[in-house]
Amino acid sequence: MTLWLMAGLLFTPLAWAVLTLLLDFSKGRVVTWLGILVQVLVSLGLWAAVASDGEFLYLLGGWQAPMGIELRVDGLAVTFVLLTALVAAACGWHASIYLDPDKPWNRYFWPLFWFLWAGLNAVWLGGDLFNVYVGLELISLAAVGLVALGGQADALRAAIRYLMAALLGSLAYLLGVALIYGQFGTLSLAGVTDLVSNGGAQSNLTFPLILMLLGLALKTALFPMHGWLPPAHGIAKSPVSALLSALVVKASFYIAARLWLDLGGDLGGYALAQLIGVLGSLAVIWGSWLAFRQAKLKQVVAYSSVAQIGYLFLLFPLTWGVTDAISQQAQQGITLQVVSHALAKAAMFLAAGNLIMSVGSNRVDALAGVSRFLPFSLFSFGLAGVSLMGLPPTGGFAAKWLLLQASLASGQWWWLGVLLAGGLLSAAYVFRVYRASFIEATDTDQFYHPSRSLEVIPMILALLSLGLGLVAEPVLSVMSLPFEGAGS
Amino acid sequence: MMRFFSVTVLAAACLAFAGALMVTVWHISGTQAPVDLPGLLVENLEASGVEHPITAVLLNFRSYDTLLEIGVLVIAGIAGISMAKTTSLEDPLLRTSDSLLYALQRWFVPLMLVLAGYLLWAGSDRPGGAFQAGAVLAASGVLMRLGGTPMEFLRPGVLLRLGLALGFSVFLLVAVASALAGDAFLAYPKAFNKPLILVIETVLTFSIAMVLLALFVSAPVNDAVEPEERERG
Repeated sequence: MTLWLMAGLLFTPLAWAVLTLLLDFSKGRVVTWLGILVQVLVSLGLWAAVASDGEFLYLLGGWQAPMGIELRVDGLAVTFVLLTALVAAACGWHASIYLDPDKPWNRYFWPLFWFLWAGLNAVWLGGDLFNVYVGLELISLAAVGLVALGGQADALRAAIRYLMAALLGSLAYLLGVALIYGQFGTLSLAGVTDLVSNGGAQSNLTFPLILMLLGLALKTALFPMHGWLPPAHGIAKSPVSALLSALVVKASFYIAARLWLDLGGDLGGYALAQLIGVLGSLAVIWGSWLAFRQAKLKQVVAYSSVAQIGYLFLLFPLTWGVTDAISQQAQQGITLQVVSHALAKAAMFLAAGNLIMSVGSNRVDALAGVSRFLPFSLFSFGLAGVSLMGLPPTGGFAAKWLLLQASLASGQWWWLGVLLAGGLLSAAYVFRVYRASFIEATDTDQFYHPSRSLEVIPMILALLSLGLGLVAEPVLSVMSLPFEGAGS
Repeated sequence: MMRFFSVTVLAAACLAFAGALMVTVWHISGTQAPVDLPGLLVENLEASGVEHPITAVLLNFRSYDTLLEIGVLVIAGIAGISMAKTTSLEDPLLRTSDSLLYALQRWFVPLMLVLAGYLLWAGSDRPGGAFQAGAVLAASGVLMRLGGTPMEFLRPGVLLRLGLALGFSVFLLVAVASALAGDAFLAYPKAFNKPLILVIETVLTFSIAMVLLALFVSAPVNDAVEPEERERG
């Protein structure tokens, strides 16, 4: 059964990419709905299978590592596969209504969308350093293609900048992989972890680890390497921005986290872990401040992504040189943060797209009066904002609570300030949008009303993010299933 | 002053990077890798269906990587043609009237087509294969395009998209068929190793050439104006 699920999971996005490439936008939309249904069901099935029977290794081509490629299907991986299915389904549904079928270039949205999904699944399941690189390339190129779709000058400029940053990051990662391969002669992450923990020539491997982390941090837009993110996420169409912020940046972070948890204990150090944590904290403060200062609505949301990504990097100091219990707590906190941010940010971008569509301008000032015409979308935006601020009972609150406990238990009290200040600052930029929308003295009464489905989708995502705090227990229990097959 | 400072910092960073890289490479070259992958490869070459280790790795042992890499190429092709404004392939700006080019073309194009075929076949037991053959095929296409040979199929229509997708879809069909028949995605049945790999290589050559050629042809940029986020407003 699980083998069928795996074949379905790997095959569907790639097959649908080809199918939709051959069709035009409207037919591609119908085909995509079917594909989304299949993919969501398969992801749910796989999640349930892992939750009940535990994790397994999937040998591609029937070849074992180190000869072939193994996929590591564990609790964390299926959690992210399911998250991807939910968010991508919402964004695909939104895009199918939001995008204009008459624009000739929009037909290319579907194949790129499906390739992106395939790449994301490849990264979540990847157990092989090079295979993960290929997955990253799939994601980056599809994302760049989506940003540039249509080829207007501004979009193209942002896309090229994004492409350069992504390529530089990939190359740094690849160089690190090449060095690791030179040292150990294997590309399997489990194999490398085994060899490292058995004390195989460690001093000269810190440099490859730093290279890989640096490349991945650039792709995740860690401060101060975040310059490419706001233009690209701001200029893309709203469903694309939602996909990019919710999922794409998480892929490179996920690889960095897996590398750190497997190799960081032996190859990393206190200083490296603290440095990454400090950069993450600066991202939280600086990103939130810039989000507060932006004049354009989607730039506010994009800079808020820079800030929220900063929290994720607290994983590095909170898991280095601490007891297993604290490390586990930090990992759970970060996973919840990834999941709740993905849901909330997708909701926020989709709602922002509706608001912009309604008032016909991207400026925050232009939102004046919109609270009466589009209260539903504005409410979704606010609910997502509540999760970003980390107020109970949202997923964001549960995540920050776990991180808070982990910082206190490991004696690293200095991260407390970041967690608190970040929440306050995100409240500031969310309320700024609200203030603009409640101003009544306005001479515009020309509001376009988007279709009802467009308004429902961000609401569902925002409610999921809100409810995540209440169902955190089952989510976490699957995500933290120990991987017994590791290194075997 | 600021400029001097940033140049110094940049130079220092480059030097530090190069130094650290050299030290690491020096260390690594001095140690024996604990896993002997080339040895393992030679032992299993028999089972792969081809005689050349690189082709065996690309199309059998690590065929999943190759499948996804072809996906990356298709994405690049899609991104390229999504920005194209090739309403007419007969753009006079894109044509050269160089008599030397015509003369060369007459000699080169047949030769390059033969070379592409040879490279494809050579992949089974010596260096060569779909990527190299596809690149040569694309290069001959570029020559023909510059010479003004009409190539209708390069218009962003259904033929071009079929061409882009062909290699990838055949590879994918083989992958999923093996998953349905056997035990895992991409596990070819042993008896059909060689013919399957050959079929995949051939269609891949064609599609790789199409991607590269499409990127060359669709270089110009769409300059139609679309107001920001107001598609129906």
